Amino acid sequence: MINAILDQAKASIAAAGSLKELDDLRVKFLGKKGELTALLKGLGKLSKEERPKMGEAINQAKVSVQNLLTDRKNHLETLELEKRLLEEKIDVSLPGRNVEMGGLHPVTITLNRIQSLFAKNGFEVETGPEIEDDFHNFTALNIPDHHPARAMHDTFYFDESTVLRTHTSPVQIRTMENKKPPLRIIAPGRVYRCDSDITHTPMFHQVEGLIVDKEANFAQLKGLLIDFLRAYFEKEDLQVRFRPSYFPFTEPSAEADIECVICGGKGCRVCKKTGWLEVLGCGVVHPNVLDSAQVDSEEYTGLAFGMGVERLAMLRYGVNDLRLFFENDIRFLRQFK
Amino acid sequence: MNISTSWLREWINPKVSDEVLAEQLTMAGLEVDGIETVAPAFDNVVVGHVVSCEKHPDADKLNLCQVDVGEADNLQIICGASNVRADLKVIVATVGAKLPGGLKIKKAKLRGVESFGMICSESELGMADSSDGISELESDAPIGQNIREYLDLDDNIIELDITPNRGDCFSVLGVAREVSANYNMAFKMPEINVNSQGTSSIKTSVSNTQACPKYLTRAISGINNTVKTPKWMADKLTRSGQQVHSPVVDITNYVLLELGQPMHAFDLEKINGAIEVRNAKAGEKIKLLNESSVELNDDTLIIADDNSPLAIAGVMGGMGSSTQDDSTQILLESAFFEPVSIAGKARNYGLHTESSLRFERGVDFNITEVAMDRATQLIIDICGGEASDISNCVDESALPALNPITITQAKIQKILGFELDSNWIEEKFTNLDFEISNKSADSWTIIPPSFRFDIRIPADLIEELARLYGYDKLPVQKLSLDANINTISEATIDKYDIAQSLVSRGYQEVITYSFVSEKYQHLIDPEAKKITLSNPISADMSTMRSSLWAGLLQTVESNQRRGHTDARFFEIGLCFGGVKADEQSNKLAGVVSGNRFDAQWSTELQPLDFFDAKADLESLLTLTGNQFSFEAAEHPALQKGQSAKILLDSVQVGYIGALSPVVQKQLSLSKCYLFEIDLDAILSGKVAKYEAFSSYQQSARDIALVLDEATPVADLMSSIENMNQPHFVGVSLFDIYAGENIESGKKSVALNLTYQSLESTLSDDEVNAKVGEVLALMQDKFSATQR
Repeated sequence: MINAILDQAKASIAAAGSLKELDDLRVKFLGKKGELTALLKGLGKLSKEERPKMGEAINQAKVSVQNLLTDRKNHLETLELEKRLLEEKIDVSLPGRNVEMGGLHPVTITLNRIQSLFAKNGFEVETGPEIEDDFHNFTALNIPDHHPARAMHDTFYFDESTVLRTHTSPVQIRTMENKKPPLRIIAPGRVYRCDSDITHTPMFHQVEGLIVDKEANFAQLKGLLIDFLRAYFEKEDLQVRFRPSYFPFTEPSAEADIECVICGGKGCRVCKKTGWLEVLGCGVVHPNVLDSAQVDSEEYTGLAFGMGVERLAMLRYGVNDLRLFFENDIRFLRQFK
Repeated sequence: MNISTSWLREWINPKVSDEVLAEQLTMAGLEVDGIETVAPAFDNVVVGHVVSCEKHPDADKLNLCQVDVGEADNLQIICGASNVRADLKVIVATVGAKLPGGLKIKKAKLRGVESFGMICSESELGMADSSDGISELESDAPIGQNIREYLDLDDNIIELDITPNRGDCFSVLGVAREVSANYNMAFKMPEINVNSQGTSSIKTSVSNTQACPKYLTRAISGINNTVKTPKWMADKLTRSGQQVHSPVVDITNYVLLELGQPMHAFDLEKINGAIEVRNAKAGEKIKLLNESSVELNDDTLIIADDNSPLAIAGVMGGMGSSTQDDSTQILLESAFFEPVSIAGKARNYGLHTESSLRFERGVDFNITEVAMDRATQLIIDICGGEASDISNCVDESALPALNPITITQAKIQKILGFELDSNWIEEKFTNLDFEISNKSADSWTIIPPSFRFDIRIPADLIEELARLYGYDKLPVQKLSLDANINTISEATIDKYDIAQSLVSRGYQEVITYSFVSEKYQHLIDPEAKKITLSNPISADMSTMRSSLWAGLLQTVESNQRRGHTDARFFEIGLCFGGVKADEQSNKLAGVVSGNRFDAQWSTELQPLDFFDAKADLESLLTLTGNQFSFEAAEHPALQKGQSAKILLDSVQVGYIGALSPVVQKQLSLSKCYLFEIDLDAILSGKVAKYEAFSSYQQSARDIALVLDEATPVADLMSSIENMNQPHFVGVSLFDIYAGENIESGKKSVALNLTYQSLESTLSDDEVNAKVGEVLALMQDKFSATQR
């Protein structure tokens, strides 16, 4: 009898296709009026000896049916979930719902890199006006009236003594006028030259650097700039060479060349077959410059350097036309996101 | 300056290739911009003599030539050039010759006649871009000589980029001196011998000896200026970039290139009376050698005779007194003009001459006599004639002072970071012609030579030693780290963070020129002070911007022209309210145009509007933690009714709005929304300050108010905030409605008020009382009724 019910329960539970059907079966077998419940109710009619045996058998059957029901329920729920998941399936390859990110200008990206590299060496950022007076742009930098270097600057004038700064060097003077040494600053910014062709734009960016210290010397300047250039181009063994040059505001003066990053120093169009690229100018600050900013040139030594930001950006990113930086063509700018 | 290496090597000939020599010069501070060969590689090309020249029997345009190239038999060569003729000296590429461009000369048959070589033009040898016929050599060209040897073609031109401090290097002598110092070997001056007698018939005087401490003249009579400048000299001149004129002019140019002394030759017969070196009288005029006429300023030093100016001193001679082919008597000038008195003068008259280039930078004041004799010798050699003695006007006291300079080993150590060997230092000073006037074990006093105007202070000496030692060999050290902690306030907002937050919202940064067209500037900001360049590149770049909008709108316009209609651009940069330092301030500005999102699968295209731009700006403003407010205001570039000024502590710091339709149309743009704010206003933020928060329940109440349509909602909200009710948390706007069921001219504004106490949960009665206060104020202040 019990076995017959159990067999029937097994078969019908396995055949149940929904949670509703399963619940009906639970009622049918285990409910108050269910078949196994009915058997329990009939226990009274049995002999005292048979009763416990039978009772145990019925309870075991109830547990078995309950287990079958639970298993089947779990199975059906899993099926149901899978069905729902299938219905809710999306094409994950579709792009996200979003505003496209913008981007920084490559000159800003380059400036930020330069600033952060120098910040690690304790350099603070200083800025200055772009419309400059003659004193800060020239005279204080040891470029007196009629100095041949003035003619080399292609200066934009507003009047005789007011110019668009031709370099970021005036920030050296303004900083020394306002702060006491020791100093360690960089001055990034726009500069202007009255020149416009394939390789010149009338506005471009420079980063000026200045160290004023009692212990500063040319060897440290070399060390700092070699480290910077290797970090900037991310090449530990980048070849850097220093050549004598001339700037009125430094003595000794130098220009630094790096091995051509385009051809690896073998010689190409960019490096004019020399294997070297000029990237910055530097030197020991001329005593006249320290004097004009009321810094004792006997006690303190100044080290200064200046570099063209577009030049560094062009070499780093392989840009071959300077003018692209100021055309602001979205097809150009988007490449630097 | 261009210098021929074969000329240089006549003076000093280190046993290194031209390339190595050039590299050495670069590393010593005379930057070599390039080396160019005079002629590309070729071989088996010799001087030939056309013995006979006949027409080719079967071709009208070809000639059959017998050419003597110094071998046993003449060569039979077919030549098509129209200028080939008998008795001409020509360039012959013989059989086996390899010419530039890969052409190999072989025995050939032209129209049945054999040809054993080719008669060449300069272009066929790669010495010229084009040639008109074959090259005709001098009649004394030695037959059979290798043409490379005859024309001195194994020569390179070194192009030197000489810095303004090294005026002494604008000559063969100067460069030779540099090579000498670098290679530690002597250079050879040409021998100079002059026989002179008698005095010049022209009296000279100098009235401004400060500007002209030294003025030498010499008369040479009986010259023949119609002879041809010798080939050796002409070659040297052309290879240095000079044109060949007449012998006297060529010789003065030659001496300028050789010794660095600019010279001038006057036609003696055109000088009236005596010569005076003096400042010009304002308004005096002179017609110069370049045929331009200039009116002179009184700050200009001139050479004048009794009647008129003859030359601008140190710059250019005058046409009237210049030598011509038929000149037979000349007055040679060799002078020292003081650099500062010459500086800038040429430029003032729009001139730039070889002479002014050198005098401005400084010419050796001890070479004056040498140069005079050198030029005299060459003139007599080439043109004949007899020289008078030199007549000189010299004011020794006005010559540049050569003050002693002392350098110590300690100073070298301080600047370069190491000590140099004492013997080496002395050797280099000697190589440089620096006279050591005094010395001790670790200190030297030197007198700079008269040709070095850049050696005046100890640092100059250190540079000399450093460059001869080799900058590359100088030690490298780490910067000693003086570890000061940067003192940047936490409340300071980094410009970079501001830029990044706009980038995250889809903005592309641009950098536009700080100068714009006057028209653009006027359209955007007609009331701004006009700051114009006196020498702009073009009218489009003539006026300093007072706002970044001009550049941004130009950027939108140019990108729209290329089909990119959706725009979100920003720029940070200086704007100019004046030329003083404190009138130049940084601004940040943005522009948006087109659709809110790119066309995408999940969103409908929606045009951007005012509130998109405002949301972007507000996202920046929240970075600061400061309270900004917006107030309807007009701006010439913005659309009336859709523009506002931005206030910080009731100070106007910027504008936001839709581009005015008038401006929009003038600039052919689509609808744009713009904002601009003073960067300083958003660079200072606040440092966070913790406040305890309540663990009791928050009470919220919605109120709907009906009030006049024109009342700004921001006013309602700020009034509620300013009530400073106890337990007030905040007020937010959740709906605005006008239309059905609302009286026309009115609007309904739905606000959500929240209250919370730190000590307890507020009772309904307490909250209702607070809301009642708000409603009363709204009624009172804005005549707002509860809906």
